[in-house]
Amino acid sequence: MDFSWTEEQRLWRRAVRDFAQNEIAPRVREIDTEERIPREIVEGMAEMGLLAPTVGEEYGGVGADWMMATIAAEELGRADISLAVPVLYLVEAAWGFIFYRYGSDRLREEYLPRVTQGEAFLGIATTEPGGGSDILGACRTRAEEAGDEWKFNGEKTYISGVRESLDWGGIHLMLARTEPDEKAGHKAFTFFAMPLKGTEGITPTFFEDMGRMGISTGGFALDDVRLPADHQVGEFNRGFYHAMEGFSAARTLIGATCVGAAEATLGIGMDQIKMREAFGRPIASFEGIQFPLADLYTDLEGTRLSTYKAAWTMDQKYKHEEATHHDIALAAAMAKLKAPVLGFKVMNEVADWFGAMAYTKECPVEMGIRGIRSYSIGAEGTPNIMRLIIARELLGQEFLPTLYMEKA
Amino acid sequence: MKSDIFVWVEQFEGEAPGASWEAMGAARSLADEHGGDVVACVFGADGLDDLAQEAISYGADKVLVTSDPSLADFRVEPYAALLAQAVRGFEPETVLVAATFRGRELGPALAVKLETGCIADCTELVSEDGQLMATRPIYAGKLMSRCVIPERRPQVFTTRVRAFPKPDPDPGRSGDVVELGPLMGEDEIAVKVAGFRESEGGVSLADASIIVSGGRGVAGPEGYEPLRELAETLKAAIGASRAAVDAGWIPYEHQVGQTGKTVSPDLYIACGISGAIQHLAGMRTSKVIVAINKDPEAPIFKVADYGLVEDLFDAVPALRKALEKKLT
Amino acid sequence: MHIVVCTKYTPDSEAKMSVDEAGNVSWGDSPLIINPWDEYSVEEALLLRDEYGGTVTVISMGPEEALEALKHAVAMGADEAIRIWDDACEGSDTLATSYVLAKAIEKMGDVDLVLCGKSAIDAQTWQTGVALATRLNYPSLMYTINIAALDPDGGSITVERLLEQGRQVVEAPLPAVVGTIKGINEPRYTSFIGIRKAAKMEYPLWTLEDADADPEKVGPSGSGVRWPEVFEPPVREGEAEIIEGETVEEEAEVLVEKLLAEKVI
Repeated sequence: MDFSWTEEQRLWRRAVRDFAQNEIAPRVREIDTEERIPREIVEGMAEMGLLAPTVGEEYGGVGADWMMATIAAEELGRADISLAVPVLYLVEAAWGFIFYRYGSDRLREEYLPRVTQGEAFLGIATTEPGGGSDILGACRTRAEEAGDEWKFNGEKTYISGVRESLDWGGIHLMLARTEPDEKAGHKAFTFFAMPLKGTEGITPTFFEDMGRMGISTGGFALDDVRLPADHQVGEFNRGFYHAMEGFSAARTLIGATCVGAAEATLGIGMDQIKMREAFGRPIASFEGIQFPLADLYTDLEGTRLSTYKAAWTMDQKYKHEEATHHDIALAAAMAKLKAPVLGFKVMNEVADWFGAMAYTKECPVEMGIRGIRSYSIGAEGTPNIMRLIIARELLGQEFLPTLYMEKA
Repeated sequence: MKSDIFVWVEQFEGEAPGASWEAMGAARSLADEHGGDVVACVFGADGLDDLAQEAISYGADKVLVTSDPSLADFRVEPYAALLAQAVRGFEPETVLVAATFRGRELGPALAVKLETGCIADCTELVSEDGQLMATRPIYAGKLMSRCVIPERRPQVFTTRVRAFPKPDPDPGRSGDVVELGPLMGEDEIAVKVAGFRESEGGVSLADASIIVSGGRGVAGPEGYEPLRELAETLKAAIGASRAAVDAGWIPYEHQVGQTGKTVSPDLYIACGISGAIQHLAGMRTSKVIVAINKDPEAPIFKVADYGLVEDLFDAVPALRKALEKKLT
Repeated sequence: MHIVVCTKYTPDSEAKMSVDEAGNVSWGDSPLIINPWDEYSVEEALLLRDEYGGTVTVISMGPEEALEALKHAVAMGADEAIRIWDDACEGSDTLATSYVLAKAIEKMGDVDLVLCGKSAIDAQTWQTGVALATRLNYPSLMYTINIAALDPDGGSITVERLLEQGRQVVEAPLPAVVGTIKGINEPRYTSFIGIRKAAKMEYPLWTLEDADADPEKVGPSGSGVRWPEVFEPPVREGEAEIIEGETVEEEAEVLVEKLLAEKVI
């Protein structure tokens, strides 16, 4: 057991912090108001190797391992508590990895160099109007073979980066049913690389979000959309499993970015309670302030450790083959279960310390509250789905409640 | 052992900066206390007679003048060679140079040529146990250091601009003017001056006794306009915080702070500057600080003497009007 | 073209500095970083290398902590990095430091251009660059805000130097020592790829012997200046007197009265 960072990790954290605090942090309010991430920030991220960093160097990535990717996620959350830049980062880091791992050569060559340069967006599209958590029940989008092409019909919704993909170009990794037989269970879905820009038959929709305004949320309907065969990502009818791999990666990064945002907010709050006086003393000297601070910090540190444990577990799997997908799923689910809810709690507490000011846009905390709520609601899995995964790993598949529902 | 003090008098187009006279004043005080002559060194192309007399009026007992076309513009190579030669000939105990840009080049170059010590940016020079003890800021003024050159002579000090009072000139003083020949011919000097582009008007930050400075609160390049008008009324220089420079609202030449210029004017008016520690490091030694900021919690109010909790776009024009009423 | 960049490490510019009772300087838990002014030199060296070809070597005289500066420069893109240190170097002033750096550069032998930051944010003497140029008998081009022309083959350089009154344009033969200032470029952030290289690279250590330097000319015996005491300056106390009035015009008039009384206008 060794809690120290390697030299590479230490230097990387410093570099990302340096960049994020200087170039992103001062512009978070602007990002929130203008509802876009300034081009210079995307370009700066590209230069540093912060866009889809898990992609290999042959496609313009840097081949970051998960510890390094997680460090960056934490630092980006620390700088942008609205979580817009972190969403851009972690969606591309997690799903870029899946595409790098399973995409066809031609498509990887076409898209990854542009994604890592910030000239194309790479996202994930699994959720549908019928739901997100229950993929088996909700994923109704169909892909059918039509000659040497694929033909798609259906609809995806609550998808991050629809506007970005339409503006910049790029792809969403889209899950579609490829096996009509319900008995096929999870082995009925395949992943596809779906370009939204310029693709015939795509009708986008947009939502006005509550938070993390700098990155868009939308959806798209597919009406006889046709794509060449090489747009299939990974194995036929194995899309569900590839998706689970990507979700584990994204959940780990979400854990880190929520911890970073929560720590940053706690820092702002600590400055405030030391400065602000009531009844002739700094409010930091009241136990009613101190004790929640101590509790929250303790929980935060615990969550931080479990998040890095998840990243470490992923590296054990992908670098050394010394961990399984189950190990990863468990570790990542714990990080994702804890960090967003705890982060929201921290931000709420800090808002109390600021008093009325926290309810105004003079204070940054409201951006954090609006942003982090997206991850405690859902986005890459609801808290209850995380609990389901954790319980499944502890008790075994045979106790999955869904099994009993099917039997009933 | 002589205890004479050399003072290099900088000149640009025949005029010396106030900082050179501040150094002269420091030398004069030391000489009055401990004996020895104050010897001014003036280098330039020609027409240095007035400057030599001015040096005497500010306290020099003797002036060494070297006129040569090769000395028209400051270049460290011929200037340091010439000053080193003069020092070797006259053997002063101490050399003072104002810590202007040129002075900060000349002092260390001279010290290397003479294999002696140079203490930069002194804010105080006092005699202690027969040694000159210098005080100088380090870590952007967050700490101070006391320095001494115990053995090597002569000892070189550069005096921080506006750290020493500028003496009142006494036109009645008299002194000797000695002409020295140049040391290097133009063909021996490696660096050639190809031109000079003067900054656009206005008072330079280093010399200014009043600075009107703007930060994030000016909100754009055009936000400096009311500040410029106020500066014109006050004959002040324009300063800026790093935030404003980094945003591209005003050139770097105007930046005050740890990564900009350190200033010490009589009056510093901070408009829309929150007061980051790096900015404070560059202006905290100002005699009087006025802060104008909408945010009553801004840290600038902790170092300011007077504060206006107002929008700078209201307060700055109002201040200019009030000044015009009073000053005219 | 072989470009050498002189760097040093300093505490972070945001560090809260203090002095303990024994007179030791502390920067709390702030990290050690490359002197921020040196980043401009490193960046300029990289830009020149990319335009004209060649290598960039960063050097630093200092104890093990100096690796922080070297690693940062390598992570930015420098090719080689050499640390120079010997216990005898402890207590060197700029006279001695410039001697050691000059000896190391002479030992390298094939140097076309030396770049330095204008000053270091810790001791802030502004001396090392010009002292080094004087030692090497190279042209000293301090306060360079723009390298207007460079001709490595013809061996000449033209720079704009920022002085109080404006920009002095000067030409000089190579090799020369250029002191950079903020405004000359925008230093890049260190990248993932650069950091990977910096973390893995070997950083050769040159002793005084390796640099053919005389131990008598470094450390206290080679220095002119001693610094017997460092102290915290008295803090500017208290809060501003907030001028209050019915209108902003009234407040302005009160303020003018106060400033007249202070005799600063």
